[in-house]
Amino acid sequence: MDPAFTRRWPALLLLATLAGSASAQTEPVPARPAAPAASAAGEATVSAAAERVYASARPSLLQIRTLVAAAGRQSSIGSGFLVGADGLAVTNYHVVSQFALEPTTYRLEFKRPDGGEGALELLAIDIANDLAVVRLDGTDLPHLAFDPRALEGELPRGERAYAMGNPLDLGFTIVEGTWNGLVERSYNERVHFTGAINPGMSGGPAVDASGRVVGVNVAKRLDGELVSFLVPARKAAALVERARSGPPIGIAAVRDEIDRQLLEWQAGFYGALIAKGWRTTAFGPYLAPESEAPWFNCWAQTNAEKSPKPRAQVDGSTCSTPSALFVAEDIQSGSAQFSHAYVRSSELDSFQFATFVSLLPIYRSAGFTGAWQRKRLTRPECEERFVAASPASPALHAIWCARAYRDFADIYDVALTLVTQDRDREALVSRLVVQGIAYDNALTLGRRFLEGVAWAK
Amino acid sequence: MGEVTWIEVVARHREHALRQRVDAASLTLGRAWDNDIVLDDPHVAAHHLRIERDEAGAWTAHDLGSVNGLHVEGERGRREQVALAPHVTLQVGQCLVRLHRGDEEVAPEVPLQRRSPWPAALVLVALVVLAALLEQWRGETGEPKLIRYVTGALALATVLALWTAAWALVSRLFGGHARFGAHLLVAAAGVLAYSLYDPLCELVAFALSWPRLALYAWAGAWIALAATCFSHLRVVSAKRLRLKAIVVGALATLAIATQSFTIADRNANWGQAVVLQRLAPPWLRLATQRTPDAFFDGAASLKARLDEARSEEPAGDDAASMSLD
Repeated sequence: MDPAFTRRWPALLLLATLAGSASAQTEPVPARPAAPAASAAGEATVSAAAERVYASARPSLLQIRTLVAAAGRQSSIGSGFLVGADGLAVTNYHVVSQFALEPTTYRLEFKRPDGGEGALELLAIDIANDLAVVRLDGTDLPHLAFDPRALEGELPRGERAYAMGNPLDLGFTIVEGTWNGLVERSYNERVHFTGAINPGMSGGPAVDASGRVVGVNVAKRLDGELVSFLVPARKAAALVERARSGPPIGIAAVRDEIDRQLLEWQAGFYGALIAKGWRTTAFGPYLAPESEAPWFNCWAQTNAEKSPKPRAQVDGSTCSTPSALFVAEDIQSGSAQFSHAYVRSSELDSFQFATFVSLLPIYRSAGFTGAWQRKRLTRPECEERFVAASPASPALHAIWCARAYRDFADIYDVALTLVTQDRDREALVSRLVVQGIAYDNALTLGRRFLEGVAWAK
Repeated sequence: MGEVTWIEVVARHREHALRQRVDAASLTLGRAWDNDIVLDDPHVAAHHLRIERDEAGAWTAHDLGSVNGLHVEGERGRREQVALAPHVTLQVGQCLVRLHRGDEEVAPEVPLQRRSPWPAALVLVALVVLAALLEQWRGETGEPKLIRYVTGALALATVLALWTAAWALVSRLFGGHARFGAHLLVAAAGVLAYSLYDPLCELVAFALSWPRLALYAWAGAWIALAATCFSHLRVVSAKRLRLKAIVVGALATLAIATQSFTIADRNANWGQAVVLQRLAPPWLRLATQRTPDAFFDGAASLKARLDEARSEEPAGDDAASMSLD
């Protein structure tokens, strides 16, 4: 796989641990004793701050466990934290998703650092921000407060923050790290936290030096070091507010609620994408549409330096949104991607050139809109035609493939692949993939995309 | 009496063991050496039967007291004596015995096949190799290497020769003649038909923007194979053509049915979309170009199909795919 692949598709690890992977850990290697003389005074105060934060936050931490109801054993674990004396607690949606979607197969329990255990009630979820509010029975419970600075706006970049949780079921821990502000080019707001947060810490709090919550641990990048993400505290505070003021979601209505939130989210995101419009970029004699929206990471590819020298030249670009929505273990949704490949050859004849284009990954994936789970998604249906948009644009071979989410009404994944048909040994292949979109929005976006392919004059 | 009579003995596998003109009025048959005709068959008694001619010239067979007795081919039950008419064949042990009369009608003379199948066969073989090389050329997107074309052509010629040799062997066993040239002609014609059919399907699917053709086109391959096998069987022998056609047709139908189920199952399991796998040069386009309006109307009409599929239970056992990872 070429190195660009990992750059184009950042591998995000959500930080709930499934049973299998938790048991796969290796035996810890005993750390060598540190040199005693080296402890400077500065380090001592930092360490003291972490000790203080941990000591004050620890009683409010929770380990949130999803158990297979029939076996009574945990199948996945995450973390959470109490935000009210009445037992309200915040965690990630993906920590409770198994229980939320299959409440008869799984049950949800908590474990406190002092050993207390019990059942959890699911009160509210927020798919777009990967949050959930749960409640445990109790009064006068210790709890954490949100940091007003984080609720108002931003913490200064570089401020020290402490992520807490129960990584890999090893026990409650605290991790020091650095607040690095909101991730650029992300439609869903996420804070870039430089620190080692690990599977099992999902849903745990990140707090400032005074022990107030600034964010919720959610994910890390697998292709970097210490690149982790937090959900901003104000999203959690808003969901807690909603859970307090409204009735609990009711476990039977979770799917409808997810459906409603997905529809609302896609209306916001794809509506904004449509509103931002498209600019055109020249690829040889063609103009290709690229979104004006700021939420895409773009990478260029070429085969120019390949050896032996390829008999057709391919120059391409791929732009994709950096984040996706977690819906269930086996569906990620809400990502968008568009890519172009400009291909030309003076050596191949027209049949060979057509074969070459057919073998390009961008064309081979024409019928593919993402990983497929029979249980979650219908089989794709495709419409494949020759299309002539206008006298100012080349004829196109257009392939539209769409599939529906079985559990959620009016949510679809759609891929539109276009191949120009005006020259024998020169072509532009363009592709748009949108996941978790309402059909009308997909049609509108697809149409704009198709009409964006034109001749450069 | 000038009537001519022949006795014919056919061994178990229907090759002629003996043909002899009969001049006596009575003959004995059996395994012992004092018979008029000795039958070399362990299921025949030492003295198995006698056949006699009466004054009117009619022949009758009598059982001489054998263990396995006397039977008439095509009839059930053991017989003590059998009146021998033309087309009555006796079963003696595992041998067949019949009499022929001099005035019996024989099949008309078949003219010799002067035309050798070889020139046509060799031309077709050359065309097959040419078609394969062209197809390889069409898919050549890397550096063309001569050796790949040579090995490809040699491999194809070898497979064709082995296939033909197998049929020639069958032909020699059951038809008496190997007829290698005729089998080569059939085999080459079959392969040529298929190697034209397959790219043609691809090009038609592209030209008409009809990717679903690929869902059915493979059936043509089975039909071509069945037609080829039937032609081979006809070369082996021209008898029982109806039975051969039925058997080959049934096997082809079975193959097509099996493969459709396999494909349906694969589609259900992997969620593959039906799209064109291979493009062709734009000048081959035949289907009319749609306006974006018409194209997106078509795309919009898929929504109803998807919504219908959404409510259907996913086929198959999803429980079996549960994994703890």
